[in-house]
Amino acid sequence: MRIRCSGVLLSVAVASAALWLTATPMAGQAPAGALFPAYKAAARTTDGKPDLSGVWEALTSANWDILAHSAQPGPHPTLMGAWGAGRGGQSIVEGNEIPYQPWARAKQQENFKNRMVVKVAADPSRFENGDRELQCYRPGVPRANYMPYPFQIFQTPEEILIVYEFKGALRSIHMGSSEGAPGDTWMGWSNGRWDGETLVVDVTGFNGNTWLDRAGNFHSDALHVVERWTPISPYHIRYEATLEDPKVFTRPWKVSFPLYRHVETNAQLVEFNCVPFVEEMMYEPLGLYRSQPRQAK
Amino acid sequence: MRTRTLVQYGALTLGMIGVLAGAPADAAGQTRAEIAEAGRKASPRTAEEAAKFFEEEVAKKTAEATARVYDPTRPHANPSMRTPWGDPDLRGYWLSLSYTPLERPEKFANKPLLTPQEAIEFFVEAVNADAAVDPATVHYDWKEFGMDTWQSPVRPNRRSGLIIDPANGRLPALSPEGEKRRVAAAAAAKIRNPETGVSTLPNLYTRCITGNQGPPRLPFNHDSESQIVQTPGYVIILTQSNNDARIVPLDGRPHLPSQIRTWLGDSRGRWEGNTLVVETTNFHPERVWRGATGDMRLVERFTRVDGDTISYQITVEDPKTWTQPWTAEIPWPRIEPPLFEFACHEQNYGVINVVTGAQIRATEGRPPARGGDN
Repeated sequence: MRIRCSGVLLSVAVASAALWLTATPMAGQAPAGALFPAYKAAARTTDGKPDLSGVWEALTSANWDILAHSAQPGPHPTLMGAWGAGRGGQSIVEGNEIPYQPWARAKQQENFKNRMVVKVAADPSRFENGDRELQCYRPGVPRANYMPYPFQIFQTPEEILIVYEFKGALRSIHMGSSEGAPGDTWMGWSNGRWDGETLVVDVTGFNGNTWLDRAGNFHSDALHVVERWTPISPYHIRYEATLEDPKVFTRPWKVSFPLYRHVETNAQLVEFNCVPFVEEMMYEPLGLYRSQPRQAK
Repeated sequence: MRTRTLVQYGALTLGMIGVLAGAPADAAGQTRAEIAEAGRKASPRTAEEAAKFFEEEVAKKTAEATARVYDPTRPHANPSMRTPWGDPDLRGYWLSLSYTPLERPEKFANKPLLTPQEAIEFFVEAVNADAAVDPATVHYDWKEFGMDTWQSPVRPNRRSGLIIDPANGRLPALSPEGEKRRVAAAAAAKIRNPETGVSTLPNLYTRCITGNQGPPRLPFNHDSESQIVQTPGYVIILTQSNNDARIVPLDGRPHLPSQIRTWLGDSRGRWEGNTLVVETTNFHPERVWRGATGDMRLVERFTRVDGDTISYQITVEDPKTWTQPWTAEIPWPRIEPPLFEFACHEQNYGVINVVTGAQIRATEGRPPARGGDN
């Protein structure tokens, strides 16, 4: 077997990830049977549906850039050295291309340049800043699923709850519901249904403030995501998402990557509440973090 | 139904209060009376119209209350409601709101339990006091948004205070160490802090580090909705305020090692009959909750006493703060779904205003405005 992947993967994932890379020249084309031919069907919940419960994590570097990218130094190599650097990685985007409208392609370039701009204001202009992850804002969908943090799925017949370790961001997937989003949000409004072995989730109601990665890839409030979650072994889910946004893209496009189950017997999300980690960065430049009081007028 | 809102009114309004409280008059030099008068002029309703509207609403609410008195002496209905996999069923949406004070008031010193009639009278009085704000200037008042406590399914309670142990219904005495910290904190609150800023705010909710729902969850005056999700092996408690999510494994696994500290603590649950017992430890040392330390041990008991009510009991133990553990009971009425996204930190304009107000006070040599506990 030819193994092209020279990156370091967690041991639990090595065999299957290498296989996945060789078996799938293009993202999103791996039929489950090709990878795990002995696998028949997922364990069932009490209501007879595939059981997706568990702690899961993507093993990609897509949070840096969803397109193919080289390894890169961090933004402050003099301080952060190898700690701050980013892994190189393959694209999670089908065809390794995002079909931006011309203005949007230029906007993505601008975003990239401004990716570390931190703007803090007592009005909505606070969202005209760089990557929102830097400020510990909710990551949106599908990004939450490929950030380098685990998340936990809790499954009931009426609702599938996903708790993300990053910031404790939440999603409730409303099963069998066709109710529209009551308002725009960071994590969107999710309606789900089962298509055989696949959980299909329709996500709308985004506020347009989230980015897709640290490289400035973005969308608008018109984003419509359709996710497909298919268990392909007891320890793997094939995740696919189609992104449609007529304000930003010329056509729908697709990302896909595997999710890996955390099999440690003590697997548990460990709270990553990043708010206290960003306060000094956000408020000190305004003199609001820890500062001398203003002079009386 | 009670209207709720997607934006972070908590931080927003606290911010406004910070600025209002921080200045003897506003930037334009108006007095409070002038501000109120300007509010009346700007209101789309006359004061009389607004007063009439809210009076009718209050009357309706208090009339309903008679049938809704929570009586802890009544034997638990024990409805044997079960999940499909056989666990007691706590699933649904629940509200942690109460007019009953945490500590039993002096006037009820020897009366831990009110008669149902007294409970209703106490409740009606509280509703009227809560609703009594100049209706033409309610722009910064919860009730304009349907968010006042009396506009929720809050119910009268036969208990005169929420604390049931110690028997006198009061918080136990502070331990010597706890008293030392209280004195130091009280002194710090009175002096002009030359380094006032976000990092010195005592209130984690203002900073959006946590919401206003603990743990434990003592009644707060807004965003007190929550949802309990159950799956085989887990109970998940989600709060509207800040969307805090507590994941409670039921498989008997040990707590996280003591090196791992978190703002919401580390919870483990088990069933005792129909009651879910959740023990929470590993709190963050900088967490702010009624003076307790990060070594606080919390035991919560959730019992579905009937279709529409959970009895929520907490026992708080922290020898570094109190001389003995204490226990309180809060009845949670059922509410309608859903919870909404509560992007607190993302929308936290309020903290800018709070800190600006605090810095102005510090400049003027005045003590900081009083903050909440949560």
